[in-house]
Amino acid sequence: MPEIRVTPLGAGQDVGRSCILVSIAGKNVMLDCGMHMGFNDDRRFPDFSYITRNGRLTDFLDCVIISHFHLDHCGALPYFSEMVGYDGPIYMTHPTQAICPILLEDYRKIAVDKKGEANFFTSQMIKDCMKKVVAVHLHQTVQVDDELEIKAYYAGHVLGAAMFQIKVGSESVVYTGDYNMTPDRHLGAAWIDKCRPNLLITESTYATTIRDSKRCRERDFLKKVHEAVERGGKVLIPVFALGRAQELCILLETFWERMNLKAPIYFSTGLTEKANHYYKLFITWTNQKIRKTFVQRNMFEFKHIKAFDRAFADNPGPMVIMPGYCVQGTVGHKILSGQRKLEMEGRQVLEVKMQVEYMSFSAHADAKGIMQLVGQAEPESVLLVHGEAKKMEFLKQKIEQEFRVNCYMPANGETVTLPTSPSIPVGISLGLLKREMAQGLLPDVKKPRLLHGTLIMKDSNFRLVSSEQALKELGLAEHQLRFTCRVHLHDPRKEQETAVRVYSHLKSVLKDHCVQHLPDGSVTVESILIQAAAHSEDPGTKVLLVSWTYQDEELGSYLTSLLKKGLPQASS
Amino acid sequence: MDPECSQLLPALCAVLADPRQPVADDTCLEKLLDWFKTITKAGSSLLLLQENPCLVELLCHVLKPQDLSSRVLSFSLRLAGVFAAQEDCFQYLQQGELLPRLFGEPGPLGGAAWTAPSVRSGWIQGLRSLAQHPSALHFLADCGAVDTIFSLQGDSSLFVASAAGQLLVHILGLSMQGLAEGHPSLQAGDWPVCAQKIVGHIEESLHSTAVPQITQALNVLTTTFGHCHDPWTQVLWVRLSPLVGSLLEKDPVPAAHSLVDLLLSVARSPGLSSSSCGLWETLAQTLNHLSPTQAGPLALGILKLQDCPQVLRAQAFVILLQPLACVLKATGQDPGPSGVLDSATGDSLTVDVLLSSKAACVGLLCRTLAHLELLQPLPQRPCPWPQEPLLGAAVTLLQLCRGSASPASDVGRHLCALLLGCVRVQRAALDFLGTLSQGTGPQELVTEVFAVLLEYLRSPDSSPTVLKKAFQATFRWLLSSPKTPGCCDLEPHALLVLRELLPVLQKRLCSPCWEVRDSGLEFLTQMTRHWGGQAGFRHALLASEVPKLTEQLLRDPESYVRASAVTVMGQLSSQGLHVTPVSPEHPGGQQSLLVELLHILSTDSEGFPRRAVMQVFTQWLRDHHADVAGDTEQFMARVLQVASQDLDWEVRAQGLELALVFLEQTLGQFHSHCPYAVTPPVAAPAGSLAQALQPLCRVRLFEFAFRALFDCDRPVAQKSCDLLLFLRAKTASSSGSLEESRSGPDVASVEAALQRWQAGDQGQPLGDLEPEVVLAVLRSVDLEGLRGALAEGSDHMEKSPQSLLQDMLATVGVLGENEADCY
Repeated sequence: MPEIRVTPLGAGQDVGRSCILVSIAGKNVMLDCGMHMGFNDDRRFPDFSYITRNGRLTDFLDCVIISHFHLDHCGALPYFSEMVGYDGPIYMTHPTQAICPILLEDYRKIAVDKKGEANFFTSQMIKDCMKKVVAVHLHQTVQVDDELEIKAYYAGHVLGAAMFQIKVGSESVVYTGDYNMTPDRHLGAAWIDKCRPNLLITESTYATTIRDSKRCRERDFLKKVHEAVERGGKVLIPVFALGRAQELCILLETFWERMNLKAPIYFSTGLTEKANHYYKLFITWTNQKIRKTFVQRNMFEFKHIKAFDRAFADNPGPMVIMPGYCVQGTVGHKILSGQRKLEMEGRQVLEVKMQVEYMSFSAHADAKGIMQLVGQAEPESVLLVHGEAKKMEFLKQKIEQEFRVNCYMPANGETVTLPTSPSIPVGISLGLLKREMAQGLLPDVKKPRLLHGTLIMKDSNFRLVSSEQALKELGLAEHQLRFTCRVHLHDPRKEQETAVRVYSHLKSVLKDHCVQHLPDGSVTVESILIQAAAHSEDPGTKVLLVSWTYQDEELGSYLTSLLKKGLPQASS
Repeated sequence: MDPECSQLLPALCAVLADPRQPVADDTCLEKLLDWFKTITKAGSSLLLLQENPCLVELLCHVLKPQDLSSRVLSFSLRLAGVFAAQEDCFQYLQQGELLPRLFGEPGPLGGAAWTAPSVRSGWIQGLRSLAQHPSALHFLADCGAVDTIFSLQGDSSLFVASAAGQLLVHILGLSMQGLAEGHPSLQAGDWPVCAQKIVGHIEESLHSTAVPQITQALNVLTTTFGHCHDPWTQVLWVRLSPLVGSLLEKDPVPAAHSLVDLLLSVARSPGLSSSSCGLWETLAQTLNHLSPTQAGPLALGILKLQDCPQVLRAQAFVILLQPLACVLKATGQDPGPSGVLDSATGDSLTVDVLLSSKAACVGLLCRTLAHLELLQPLPQRPCPWPQEPLLGAAVTLLQLCRGSASPASDVGRHLCALLLGCVRVQRAALDFLGTLSQGTGPQELVTEVFAVLLEYLRSPDSSPTVLKKAFQATFRWLLSSPKTPGCCDLEPHALLVLRELLPVLQKRLCSPCWEVRDSGLEFLTQMTRHWGGQAGFRHALLASEVPKLTEQLLRDPESYVRASAVTVMGQLSSQGLHVTPVSPEHPGGQQSLLVELLHILSTDSEGFPRRAVMQVFTQWLRDHHADVAGDTEQFMARVLQVASQDLDWEVRAQGLELALVFLEQTLGQFHSHCPYAVTPPVAAPAGSLAQALQPLCRVRLFEFAFRALFDCDRPVAQKSCDLLLFLRAKTASSSGSLEESRSGPDVASVEAALQRWQAGDQGQPLGDLEPEVVLAVLRSVDLEGLRGALAEGSDHMEKSPQSLLQDMLATVGVLGENEADCY
């Protein structure tokens, strides 16, 4: 039975360390290869031993697909390819390929430099890993091999984020990665065509949330920043340098321009600076407005925002706005959870006097958006990843009710198996078709009809041919198969006389058929043979043996039922 | 446990036990458990529980019927297991009947929570920690845990199923532990009840017709024989080997992959392989029964064994070689005089697999090539090694993939059609071909190898990954070319190849793919490193356009390529292979490269090229490169000034490396180059020391190093600390004569500057320092203390258990507001 199997090694009922194994028509694909920011040991990477036990990784996996550059989706990639030993192709979009190494380098810096971890992947490993990448364009069908093909769709979320359709023959799976169904200030909304995959694997971060209007959130954000600046204060926004930083930059830039504000805005040098360079480069991946106006003015050439120089360093405060998530084990997490006293190095205790605000600017689809995407793609079933179990449970029910499809939410390590009914192309021989045509009926799409033939499976091909041709091709002799049925007749006369009676009866009923009475006493109707015999125990009963070939099945059954009704009373 | 944590613990336990309080994320629980494991490893668990009654209360509390999160329940099960690992603590928990309630029927096992894989996983991991002593074994038997573990072997979660198998192995080992010593002839019937039960279950599973069950049993046995070599394992194998052998009678052989693992695990076990229980016969039989794809890993495993009958090795080698023998035969080639491949040619089953479909053909060939690649460098590889036919096969495969072979046979043509353009086989064959360079081959075959490699390097169809591998294989073959004794230059044939290769490389350096340009530059780096000093190579390279193109790549749009170009150019220049035509703008060709590299160091927007420049400069300084040696002080002053302002920590760290080399060279020849060396420094007279330090002061090395001491990136500070400690050790012996300048005003101002830098202030440059001031400051700064502080990670405060407890408590209530968010 053909099937699709999905096993999350990460992102199964959790957020972080996305890594999903999909097996489709014998092809094995790994979707994302992320790391968990919350751990500092081996647990940060997915447990690949569950794949390596199947033999060599490069033999087992046909390809790895990375949906976008966030580390929880690509952070384990150099480890997987250069240290665990995967040597096959890795697919991602062009912007992801450009930005991925920057983030990986940054992460390496944190791990090796700040935390002093040994045995971590090196810069050379990151480069060697990136050399294995095959970059893809949106909507371009890429043949991984003769059978496996993939296609990327726009996902919003961050620059270069993509959803991927994976197709083998007529079976397909769509993996969304992280996506956003509403356009923001610099990116468009995710979109996919009605591709009707067998399975849609979707993220479900905001499975139960219907997000308030973005406008309110933005207004709130700008108001708070403005108030702080008006009071003569400073605002610190520690933000992921890639993705959200650009969104907030555009937001602030536009506001500053409108309000004619003069207070300087700085972004940290380093990562954001590099990222801005790529946002300028991949302008086609941004939203329509930015694309349209970029000839006059590239939105990423900021007027009010400049690179931060260390000379400006002063005590930060009085406000810090955290526009995203912080894992446990960071100062950000402490401040966000409201801790007002922070113990720093050397037993130095700092008091948090500033105002702390949390405003989520992460670009994920909310419950409405997820439902919208399911409606767009029209999958046969849905599988939820990248979310919390409780919230997934709610969304699962909603999807099952609304779309009448099965929805799954496996935990990490759990395998979901979906039976599929693949459509297999079968070639029909010309001879067979001609014979059907000869019967006078022209083919009609609306009226399917039965066609008898012999199915030959050879060299991974299926062909339907006439049985004669099959015998000839395969060099086989035909077996004659006869069916025999016993019909009991109440007739005290001798067997020969019963046979005569049967003959006359059939002759009179079957006027169009050739009915014969043979010298040995048996009766034939076409190829059907009827013999009368005495009953071993009851002399008043005769047994009629009706025998026919499978080709005359119809006539044979008819005769049997006819004879079972008995013979007409003799007129003489 | 420190008092502060002890104080926080009750509140935390209360939070965990409260179903209304969601836990922030499961990483917190994992880290909490890590902490408890550390504490119990170091001390008594019983004492811990007695001093912190809240822990037992938590364990009791989670058992109450309530809507507790599965994470907390799982955590509690694991925590209980960690505590109960110590026997006295186990007894303590048993007094309250806590363990049966946690791990027995009345616990989560029978409840709705059991549907969560995390709870099942927690249950298993809890038992795994707990099962450390005889009391635990009785407990397992009493609460019927073993039967549950049996059923969990088939769990829907891979993690749970795998952990269940591991736990069975552990329990079996534990229950046999007491009886193992001195009872090698122990009969299975006398075994402890628990062990008998597990072995009985394994036997039953091996009898089963369900493949998953057989797989589970085989996996348990594989792990058992892999981990434990006690005498009882021999008895176990004697008892089970007929059953395992009977699996071979089935067609197809069930769970072949696991069966191979088991047999190899047994063969590797020293006690088992030597015992006379027909292991070698079983292995031989298995090789015959398995399909070519399944038999490959077994054959490789057999050939890797240290002691194994020669006949079996020969059989395994024939099986391993079969696919390549088929390729040779199909393309009408002589499998060679060695006879090994010859005897491998006739297997029609392998041909069937090869021709059945493209996927099967590619899979089998790639596996075979990978297996042979692993085998080639091993000392126990088969002898004689059929080097020639293997070379022939690798070359043929590469030709088939390119369509440049035209086999006459039907099978050959079919293979050609299947392999045409197949990147996977190309990659595997190139890797294998590279490995084969460690052996030799007749000249005509080597010529063919180079021809096919050149064909790949030239072909516009070669993908970047294939090209990279082709470059690597080419380099390995050039390296292995036979050399004239006493001369390490390329031999004439290799030189001919090189002349053909350079135009190809030239073309590849202009490739639109950055991956290809970079692989080309890496190849050039390797070649220059090996043959840069040899006349033949130099002549060929200088006659080509390659050096000029490489120089142009210093301005490549891709930073990785710029970095590789910097490395190559640095090397070419060191070897005198970089000659820029003298022009009015560039008086003195070599000088212009130094200027160009300095320009890259000061202006390149990416870190990689700047790092590469620093590495080149360090190497140049070490090698006394002409440009550097001309005016080393000016060079050092300039480079250190630029490097000190670099935002990339690796550039600054490399700056300190450069400073160290300069320091060593300036202070004279020392016995050791290692800053950590404990050998006493060579004493220098005071006058000469001050003189020796003068150049260091002039290039402002000390200001660079002192600033770096408080660098925001830890490795930079560490490196600077090491450098200054090294210098202090060098100058220690002459301290007396310089004492008088200790209290000079300059020392105070430097110390004040250091304090400002430590506080994060940038401040003004120090200006020219006098050697005496430097030495005085060196003595006054607590470098050892600083080194100790730097040894800790920057997140060590956040990583502390106290910080974890505070964070978990602080999250309570806030979570709802902030929602779980992500990136």
